[in-house]
Amino acid sequence: MSPGDRAEGVARLRCAVAAIEGRRAATPARAAGRLPLTGALDRALGGGLAADGLHEIAPASPADGSAAMGFALALAARFMAVRGRTAIVMAEDFALAELGALYGPGLAAFGLDLSRLVFVRAPDAPALFQAMEDALKSGAPAAVIGEAWRLKSYDLAASRRLLLAARAGGAPALLTAASAYGAAEAFSSAAETRFEIAAAPSAHLASAGGGRGLPGAPAFTVRLVKARIGVGGAGQGADPTRTFRLAWRAEELSFDEPTLSLPVAAAADDRPRATRA
Amino acid sequence: MTDRARRAHEVDPRAPLAVGATVKAARRLVGVDANAARLGLAPGLTLADAQARQPSLVVCDAEPEAEARLLERVADACVRFTPLTALDGRDGLMLDVSGVAHLFGGEEGLAAEVEAQLSRAGLTVALGLADSPRAAWALARFSHRRIAPAGLAGKDFARLYHDLPAAALGLDPDTCADMARAGLRRIGDLALRPRAPIAARFGADVIARLDALAGDARGAISPRFAAPELSVERRFASPIAASEAAFAALARLADDLALLLERQGKGARRLELMLFRIDGGARRISVGAGRPLAEAKAMARLFAERLAGGAEEEIDTGFGVDLMRLSCLVAERIAPAQGEWERLEESAGARALADLVDRLSARLGTRRVTRLERVAAHLPEQAFAATPAALGEARAAGQGESAAPADAPTRPLRLFERPEPIEALAEVPDGPPLRFRWRRVLHEVAAIEGPERIAAPWWRRPGAPTRDYFRAEDALGRRFWLYREGLYGRETTQAKWFVHGVFG
Repeated sequence: MSPGDRAEGVARLRCAVAAIEGRRAATPARAAGRLPLTGALDRALGGGLAADGLHEIAPASPADGSAAMGFALALAARFMAVRGRTAIVMAEDFALAELGALYGPGLAAFGLDLSRLVFVRAPDAPALFQAMEDALKSGAPAAVIGEAWRLKSYDLAASRRLLLAARAGGAPALLTAASAYGAAEAFSSAAETRFEIAAAPSAHLASAGGGRGLPGAPAFTVRLVKARIGVGGAGQGADPTRTFRLAWRAEELSFDEPTLSLPVAAAADDRPRATRA
Repeated sequence: MTDRARRAHEVDPRAPLAVGATVKAARRLVGVDANAARLGLAPGLTLADAQARQPSLVVCDAEPEAEARLLERVADACVRFTPLTALDGRDGLMLDVSGVAHLFGGEEGLAAEVEAQLSRAGLTVALGLADSPRAAWALARFSHRRIAPAGLAGKDFARLYHDLPAAALGLDPDTCADMARAGLRRIGDLALRPRAPIAARFGADVIARLDALAGDARGAISPRFAAPELSVERRFASPIAASEAAFAALARLADDLALLLERQGKGARRLELMLFRIDGGARRISVGAGRPLAEAKAMARLFAERLAGGAEEEIDTGFGVDLMRLSCLVAERIAPAQGEWERLEESAGARALADLVDRLSARLGTRRVTRLERVAAHLPEQAFAATPAALGEARAAGQGESAAPADAPTRPLRLFERPEPIEALAEVPDGPPLRFRWRRVLHEVAAIEGPERIAAPWWRRPGAPTRDYFRAEDALGRRFWLYREGLYGRETTQAKWFVHGVFG
């Protein structure tokens, strides 16, 4: 019996006892609420992103790794702004070596408060998950981002442990894996939400010279692959065929949905997957 | 030296043993054990002579590094007697035992205990105990009397020390030879003569050493480790070997230490656990805390994390541990918690975070748990520094160039440690690129901003090429931070392009 099974068993027994005693908590107390993102995405998620859940963020293609991390950091920035606490960014050594280390000035320009960020490097994936679990359980951070390289040791038990830790600490776990591109539908886990992220052309700003435009605010194509909405929760749930286009406004720490009248927006939406990447 | 050789190679304990090395172009003995000394062999003899005299002599090679390591290990093990231990030359240890002897039943008891412990580890000990370091040194090496009574003076002092050879002052051999030529062979010969001529002939150092011998000038020893502020220890009548028992003992030690700290109103910032094994080994494990710790549980947990993250899964007790000591190396006053409820809650959150950082730092190492700080530097790769988060809160942001959040960030989320070369095609040599190939994928540039010119600090690295940075977005929306190295026409004619980072 692994420790994860044991923790899960204990949690189940607690629920059973609570149910027998007639108390309300049939599931572990859910006090943390939901974090709104944008209108359309919130409708699908049932009011926003659960603030005490496990959310997986997979890149759509090898080159979208930094977009996936950007999306995770943007979510963390929103959680930090709402809760006024420190976020912890953890990564496996190999992911940092392969993808490049996170860059302080870039994070600041992306809207993250450097004085409220702690970075942890883990030697391998099991150490990463263990550190994430400890961080979540402590209840101290506003959010915990974990960047794994491969999801080999990430199975149902491991994800369940992270989920329980997130519930216990009331903080969201945002897990991304750079090498799991395109595999968003391929693996199963206990996560509440799974996003697939691709970079999207930004709304270019006109250049003074009249040539090519200037890159605008970072934009993402988001596909909601999985969304577990509680019994009675109001939400449309996941629809893997649907994509959302979000732009990140670092100044306001919010996402917005650009209208389709933008010059390049149409290209990204509702395009068959095969032609991307 | 011979003790190390005996430990390293299996030598018959009755055989005379010597350690040899090449000195002055000849193989000579540099150390002999008691058996060999009894047979009249002494350091300095050439190997050929020695073996001619004693064919049964066993000779091992001297290994200065291994000997130094052994001495350091012995010094660590001696911390069980006193926290102030220092290395003395290549073959000695100096222990400051002021106020320690009564714990071992007087000076005799202490000497016997030291000897027993070290000989159990297979070491031959010559020890001396006296009022001053110099006197103890002289006794250990040149006298059969081991312990000089405290406050020795006048005739008693003369009786004890004046018969010792002049070399017992620790002078170099040349000076000793000079003195012998002048008929000054014993310390008494020097001590009873007028000082001025001796100082004039052999140097003031001799007089200083005579004074040090008498304890007139207190020579301080420089201990290997600073004495802890507080320490608690537990001795075990029968050595414990099980890791669980060691953890249980650790928990009790932490309780004791927490009590002491609480009395002083302090918390521990740096803790050290020492395990003394019965085979003479000692192991020290230290952990740091980001805030002053006063709770016993938190202390014990830090050590547990540290051991869980290390190479070994549990406490290495060897053949058994007979003494455990928990020391607080650095203590800090705890600010009493007070104020409004709101602030209390906030500080509870900060404390939970500090605890978490401590635990992760103990397990993964402090270099793996960091905060980023901005640094005032122009080169992008030097514009921030990672500092261990266990050191406490990050310094106030706002130093260096402030990168305000902007809708279109000007700096990338990720920066490559080494910029990666790319093949780029530009309309004109000093213009922005039209398309580029990175990691074997061709990217069409759909939007671009730049150049942002960043020059290397000329006062530090003259001649380093200037970089022109561009923010480029390809047709699929991926954003890259590219630069061209060298100003076209002035610094280079062959523009080289690199990807330095990627945007989110």
